[in-house]
Amino acid sequence: MDAVAGAGIGAGLAVIGAGYGIGKLAAAAVESIARQPSASGEIRANMILTAAFVEGVALFGEVICLLAVLGGNG
Amino acid sequence: MKSQILKRFTGFAAVIGIAISLSLYSCKAQHGPVEGGHESSAGGEGAHAELEDEVSDVIIHHVMDTHDWHLADVGETEIALHLPWILYNSATGIEFYGSTHALAENEHYLEAHGNVYYVSSKTPVREFHFSTSKDPKLAAASAALVATERAELKKFETENAGKYAFVHHKGIKRDAAGAKEALIEHVTAYELVQGATLIDFSMTKTALHILIVAIVIFLMFTSVARAYKKRGGMAPKGLQSFMEPVILFVRDDVAKPYLHGKHEKFVPYFLTLFFFIWFSNLLGLTPLSSNIAGNTTITIMLAMLTMVLIVANSTKDFWMHIFWFPGVPIWMKPLMLVVELMGFFTRPAALAIRLFANISAGHFMVLALISLIFILGDNGHSAAGAYTIMPLSLAFSLFIFMVELLVAAVQAFVFSLLTAVFIGQAMETHSHDEGHGAEAHH
Repeated sequence: MDAVAGAGIGAGLAVIGAGYGIGKLAAAAVESIARQPSASGEIRANMILTAAFVEGVALFGEVICLLAVLGGNG
Repeated sequence: MKSQILKRFTGFAAVIGIAISLSLYSCKAQHGPVEGGHESSAGGEGAHAELEDEVSDVIIHHVMDTHDWHLADVGETEIALHLPWILYNSATGIEFYGSTHALAENEHYLEAHGNVYYVSSKTPVREFHFSTSKDPKLAAASAALVATERAELKKFETENAGKYAFVHHKGIKRDAAGAKEALIEHVTAYELVQGATLIDFSMTKTALHILIVAIVIFLMFTSVARAYKKRGGMAPKGLQSFMEPVILFVRDDVAKPYLHGKHEKFVPYFLTLFFFIWFSNLLGLTPLSSNIAGNTTITIMLAMLTMVLIVANSTKDFWMHIFWFPGVPIWMKPLMLVVELMGFFTRPAALAIRLFANISAGHFMVLALISLIFILGDNGHSAAGAYTIMPLSLAFSLFIFMVELLVAAVQAFVFSLLTAVFIGQAMETHSHDEGHGAEAHH
């Protein structure tokens, strides 16, 4: 039970971090596109790339939480 | 030009398809202690799983690879495709069984949670029972009993490493009124046949799905390549019009910007990678219970292909930056070695985990939202609960499905883009090293 509760809290924390990071990233990218619409393609590609990095880190956390739940009884 | 790319692409498609299917032939040699399934499973004597446990069983069963491709239940009849078991046994040679059922009839093969063990007898050598009482008065005493039993099991496992196969079962014991009485768990030990090697070469559900994806991609691309040959110089038509922008996207936005003008020879690989991941993800959104990229074997295999390409295209400068980082004080060089070496391995690892986690998360979410109907409907006992949650649950799962359609393409894009970035980094020669200071030049 402890493992499940801990994993749930951990998953939530990981999501907060990733949400904040991707939110900041998207805000900056949209602002840049508004300033320089001609570079939107390049900015978008970089945004997706960086979002994938941020999300990747969060997913590491989620996978560990998943392991805590699935392997927590053994 | 384009048809040439496509022609080479079909070759790559075949190679990657075969490579990945081979990697899937889960080779589980019978050596050392067998890491038996820790998964929970309904069953055991008189034990019935709780609804929540059943739900998580359904979800885990869906995302796991199996030997039985279960499609649906119509009334009592099960619609499933039973894939054959192909085993190599060092004592008896290659053996073939039509289904898990046929395998279970052999007195020496014990099948549990998708693994097969070569045992001398199917009668357990020893059984361990754990029973955690739900009754608050008995809880402390039962916890102490469970702790002793667990210590006993641990001792037994370490003393007899490699001798026994351990199979885990979990369940819930109920009293006459149907209330939860205790959580029970069995661990049964079966004696393994010593000195024999058993390797499981069976084609599993996921391997079959990979072949389906490979065939679909092969047919689509050969037809498009033929169309380019026949209609050279003319406007694209039919399937061509759908494929051309995607192919150009992979060439111009994935491969070209990162590969320093040498992208042409990599384009076939990136097309293969992109379409393979994309189409596997799309197949996972059909009701065929397919989960290709949500399987770590596949994603690790794909990431290893990336690593092979990084190493194959690396320059001296790349290795120099790992082992003897230029332009930093000498005491920092060993530190940089550790950091860079870690980076070398975490990059492919991150690729594998990202793809796996993204695709699994989508499957988990859709299944969990659908399962909510059964949980709130108390498994058919409360129509009110089921009807209340149903619209919400369906709307949310539809939404997740739409997001997953996007994720299917985005993950294919991200995986191929990062592969391109990493290969590009490895290919880099020192055009940028002015920033490294004087030391790099001496």
